[in-house]
Amino acid sequence: MNGRETQNGHEPLNGDYPEAGPSASAASTETADLTEAQLEALLFVAERPLSRREIAAAAGLDRASVDARLGDLEVSLRARGIRLIADGDRVELVTAPEAGALIARYVGSEAVRLSPASLETLAIIAYRQPVTKAAIERIRGVDSDYTVRTLVHRRLATELGRAEAPGRPILYGTGFDFLERFGLISLDDLPALDSEVAGRLEVETGRRGSDDSLDLDGDGQLD
Amino acid sequence: MSNSSTATVVIDRGRAPEGSTHVRLEEFDGPLGLLLALIEARRLDVLTVPLAALADAYLDALASLPGERIGNLSAFVAIASQLILIKSRAMLPRRQEAPSEDLAEDAPDPEAELRARLVLYRAYRDAGVSLQAHALATVGLFRREPSTAQAAGLAGARPADLEPVPVTMLAGALGSLVQLAPPPEPPPEIVPRVVTIAERAAIIREALQGAGVLVLQDLLRGVRDRVVVAVTFLAMLELVKRREIVVEQAEPWGPIHARPTPSFGTPRAEVEELG
Repeated sequence: MNGRETQNGHEPLNGDYPEAGPSASAASTETADLTEAQLEALLFVAERPLSRREIAAAAGLDRASVDARLGDLEVSLRARGIRLIADGDRVELVTAPEAGALIARYVGSEAVRLSPASLETLAIIAYRQPVTKAAIERIRGVDSDYTVRTLVHRRLATELGRAEAPGRPILYGTGFDFLERFGLISLDDLPALDSEVAGRLEVETGRRGSDDSLDLDGDGQLD
Repeated sequence: MSNSSTATVVIDRGRAPEGSTHVRLEEFDGPLGLLLALIEARRLDVLTVPLAALADAYLDALASLPGERIGNLSAFVAIASQLILIKSRAMLPRRQEAPSEDLAEDAPDPEAELRARLVLYRAYRDAGVSLQAHALATVGLFRREPSTAQAAGLAGARPADLEPVPVTMLAGALGSLVQLAPPPEPPPEIVPRVVTIAERAAIIREALQGAGVLVLQDLLRGVRDRVVVAVTFLAMLELVKRREIVVEQAEPWGPIHARPTPSFGTPRAEVEELG
């Protein structure tokens, strides 16, 4: 299963957009009709995350066209005070990170503050998602049931599904709330991991293509 | 599953829970965190420090952990045992023969293994710290939430971190309001007022004297006293009764026209009797 793309919005909204400009304008001349401006207006009015399916239904378009238009919009908004973020199938408009402090003052909101235990647990979930609690505990070396449940309760972590492993353990990941509370446009904006660990993580996730998060001996077991 | 953010949940779980450590034993949530903190407190490099040298420090720290951490003790003890194993191996002279190489391949070096776990743990611990710093710097991304924006707008967009409004400000506001308000009018004196039909009839007569026709509404224009209006109307009816005038009204709510009759103005003063 390719959990990374579909479940946690790690992938860019549309794989290859820097080049999407010309092809996008070509697409907009087709019968399918959903301009970037229309899409932006729709998301503006919705005031809640919309699924790509919903957008496609509203516009009478196929998913591919919606994805392409979302990609165009995402690129256009990079220079604006509003950004487009994605959580799997759903997308929403949020304020730009650089406007965060101003908006927070206006609405009377404060930055999220977590204990060191919660932070390291959340970091593991964010970087390694989808990940089981057992994998988290192997890295932390300590029972993390309470910490994980607290994160889920605060909606900073979400249950993505269950691993096809004995006991069908819950797979954890992050969603809109994590991105919003931590001021991240996408998971690509996560702070860089220690390079050595990042390298190993890459290897692991590559390997995981075949047996997803079931490397029950893989995570804590560093050879 | 009930809320996990409160301490009560800890009790619910019915065994000495991992949650009990959150009754907050500073940073050392787990054994790796404790060991790493010991290393960093000594300004040593995780990648090179001989872990065997830390076994004593770790055991000392472990012994000083408060009792309520007992729920997690096994995790701490597991690392302690690994440290002791590492230390004991370090103290034994290494055999250089081939068999030991076989052994090494079968069983990975516990020190390297623990070190790798420390490095991995440290990466996520530090990533968590960076995440927190990022969250504090950007505060967050905000989606459109009408209720939130509206509430903020109604509150005058007052930043949450401002000092509370001093009470004297409220008192001052009240004071200025008091000054702006006009002085209260003296209570109206209660004076018996007499409006007589004769008086009003005289006015109607007077009005009719000049003009041949009178519209009652015109006569009463500007009069706001309902008693005066009512008495004037009664006076008009009285004049009609005395056949001094005739009155007609073309339609409901329309103007009431009064015209003198030939007997108008007969100098009889009986009207006054009715006053």
